[in-house]
Amino acid sequence: MPGRQLIMDFPVTATSHLLPDYLARGGYETLKKALSTLTPEDVTKEVTASGVLGHGGAAFPVGRKWAVVKLNDGQPHYLCANADEGEPGTFKDRWILEHSPHLLLESMLLACYALQVRNCFVYIRGEFDLPYRRLQAAVEEAYAGGWFGENILGTAFACDIVVYRGAGSYVCGEASALITSIEGKKGYPRNRPPRLTVRGLYQRPTVINNVETLSNVAVIMRMGAEEFRKVGVAKSPGTQLVSISGHVNKPGVYEVEYGYPLDKFIYEDCGGILGGQKLKCIIPGGISTKVMTASDIVGVTYDHKAMEKAGSQVGSGGMVVIAEGTCMVRLLQVMLRFYHHESCGQCTPCREGMGWMHRVIDRIVAGDGRPEDIDTLIRISNANDGTTICGMGDAAGYATVGIIAKYRDEFEHFIANKRSKCGGRLEVEEAAHA
Amino acid sequence: MPDFFINGQPVHAEKGQTVLQAALAAGFYIPYFCWHPNLSVAGNCRVCVVEVEGENGGENWSEIACNMPISEGMRVLTDSEGVRAQRKQTLQFILLNHPVDCGICDKAGECMLQDHHYAYNGEPSVSTVPKVKATKYHELSERVVLDNERCIVCSRCVRFTREISKSHGLGIQNRGDHSLVRATEDGRFNRDAYSDNVVDICPVGALLAKNFLHKARVWYLQATPSVCPGCARGCTVNLWHRKREWKLNALDPKQNTEIARVTPLENAEVNGPWICNKGRDLAAIFERPRALQPLLKGRPASLDEAAGAARRLIDEAKRPVALVSSWGSNEELAALKARLGGRVTSFVKADHLPAPGEVLEDELLIRADKNPNTATAQQLFGSAPVAFPDGTDLVLVWGEGFDFTRLPRGAKLIYLNSYLAPENGHADVFVPISIQTERAGSYTNFQGHSSRFERCLPKPAGVIDAEMFFANLAVAAEVA
Repeated sequence: MPGRQLIMDFPVTATSHLLPDYLARGGYETLKKALSTLTPEDVTKEVTASGVLGHGGAAFPVGRKWAVVKLNDGQPHYLCANADEGEPGTFKDRWILEHSPHLLLESMLLACYALQVRNCFVYIRGEFDLPYRRLQAAVEEAYAGGWFGENILGTAFACDIVVYRGAGSYVCGEASALITSIEGKKGYPRNRPPRLTVRGLYQRPTVINNVETLSNVAVIMRMGAEEFRKVGVAKSPGTQLVSISGHVNKPGVYEVEYGYPLDKFIYEDCGGILGGQKLKCIIPGGISTKVMTASDIVGVTYDHKAMEKAGSQVGSGGMVVIAEGTCMVRLLQVMLRFYHHESCGQCTPCREGMGWMHRVIDRIVAGDGRPEDIDTLIRISNANDGTTICGMGDAAGYATVGIIAKYRDEFEHFIANKRSKCGGRLEVEEAAHA
Repeated sequence: MPDFFINGQPVHAEKGQTVLQAALAAGFYIPYFCWHPNLSVAGNCRVCVVEVEGENGGENWSEIACNMPISEGMRVLTDSEGVRAQRKQTLQFILLNHPVDCGICDKAGECMLQDHHYAYNGEPSVSTVPKVKATKYHELSERVVLDNERCIVCSRCVRFTREISKSHGLGIQNRGDHSLVRATEDGRFNRDAYSDNVVDICPVGALLAKNFLHKARVWYLQATPSVCPGCARGCTVNLWHRKREWKLNALDPKQNTEIARVTPLENAEVNGPWICNKGRDLAAIFERPRALQPLLKGRPASLDEAAGAARRLIDEAKRPVALVSSWGSNEELAALKARLGGRVTSFVKADHLPAPGEVLEDELLIRADKNPNTATAQQLFGSAPVAFPDGTDLVLVWGEGFDFTRLPRGAKLIYLNSYLAPENGHADVFVPISIQTERAGSYTNFQGHSSRFERCLPKPAGVIDAEMFFANLAVAAEVA
């Protein structure tokens, strides 16, 4: 196990996701204690003190987000759990929704109590079938058990929850597009200002946190901020659920304590590279983060500061391992096809730029590339940097610039010779010497 | 006390204004497509980007001006090198899938994309990949056509139907560069009485009015300020007709004299920047077959003869009645009042009643009274309903809308009308009068707001202004 376990701290069985098992693990005890002994401000204070960061990709401190919401300001507040886990390679929230839905619900209740939220939402992606059924069943269990509705646990606290299923759009995982979607409109992101914590869902202050981020709230309240800070490293307390996939022997979801050595995690905990191949690079946290080559990850610890120093990010924890022999041009083509397909088309640079990049890379792969195409891709990426309404334009740009910066020779080779430098494959074969 | 700085100059801002609003008010040029003063902020074209100088030596950052609140003392650059580069970049993106078919585009000449492109880019397309193909001719309604290839998805039209006309008739389908503006399937946009405004607010040539499609290049036309006579709102409009120097003998003569199109003339007090679809079709009202010949009981006569005959009839009449047109201008109504007001009993008549199927009244512009100047007419001549006194022996009918079966038995008839009508030949005296486009004047709307209209087309021979005709009658009355 890569470090201490806070969320995946129980063995998964056929019934471990159900209420009786969760109660046996001490579930809803924290909520009971908080409702009877703590004020909302105490909960916020504890979460702020824990220093927990957002686990959705941007790593924004949760306490700072919550602090913007003014208590007792005479208007309703909303809380949304972002379960629209659409970043390619990321499937860590799915684990929580499938195996520990009550942890999310308890955490949401604590957050609702802290932020004076009467109605909270879970926006779950439409393609999630089992996670949706398990979450919905958990919600019904929780209602039956009296943890939702009026007068929760005999106090004046009341809270209702709605599980809202998305319709299959990557952009709806962006917080403002998510609430626009909940409002029943087309999932377009909104311009800031105003921030969503000032005017969000139905024009009211709204806090939107990732599923894993919210799940940490119950953990923090159970352990206490001080204990929580002892896990991980100073700037990145706690753990990160990492969903690892690609050319790796043991793909899956792992809970990694911040500060754990990255190379040890890949080579030892995940069983090394598929087919006995050598590692070429990893995409560390969803395809929007910059790639790290095999030499980049040597000696890097898995926490925000160290990853940034190494030229990438923790991101959403969706790690993709890429073995030697994979064609990076083809890889970028797959990524750009995704971004083109998922661009919502609201603002100009992303709407036009994603299609443009996709058509340029398609042309390169078809063998009609021109030497200036590489610079065109970089130029389009830079023109998307910081000029769009949401972060998707930037994300596609980072990914493109990141891959081209590390593997420019492969692109030049493809354009000059009309064929891939490494066989043009995305799959790996058994290594000859294995 | 200046509130903030643009390009180093202090600028005063009102509370709640954005940088774009304050900058435009202060006379700085910032290009924009999706922003519209009467619509909500969408912030999707990204062309109004400006640079904000970092405080205390911090780095400069760029942001779109249309959505940027002003903070005290902030320093904004609207024309720095970085801003120009970013705008150029964005314009290249917009032009990437735009067909640049200005040669056959009705919007050419008044297109924001052309203007901004000349200001910031001025280079040929940088793209070497094929453009996205889309629908070139899509009928959004019976009146509006959409060219999806030209569309830059600024969402102005969508916001218009949601925020102004409230028909919710338009939306955007699909994602990314396949986004298409489409009308809802229940035909709401077709029923939208304001639908043609989307053609005006479209910053490019994507939305086109069917009644102006490929009719004229806009630079051959000139606009004359006028007032829509369609209802008591009295919206100010521009009547577009061929410039004098472009009236060519080679053209169909109709093209030289027709009203090519009608657009709103922005007027915050009356109609804002909008007009309804009826106002767009003014040509259909004005270009009906005209009466051009004065008649005495169906016998052609000269204008002088007709005036003389009318004069005699009025002099001889014991109890003359005048039915006053609510389409008369303030000046004409005043002339009638001054010259004949003491001699005849007058009633105001509604020249036009709502047509079947027409929107009667709504909250935005349309009024139930379909006449432009009822306010002044009633002020001068009272609002009593038409009722002929016993012994009425002469009726002067001015304008349309009178049911001639109500004419008292034995009464003589003087009829002033602009259009061909069966009654023209039956009147004792028929005088063809000019229409609004052939004279200048003003109307007063139901709110008491007067708007002036100018003459834009020549008056045909044989037609007289009603004002002049009343003056001629009065000369006779005074002589007698």
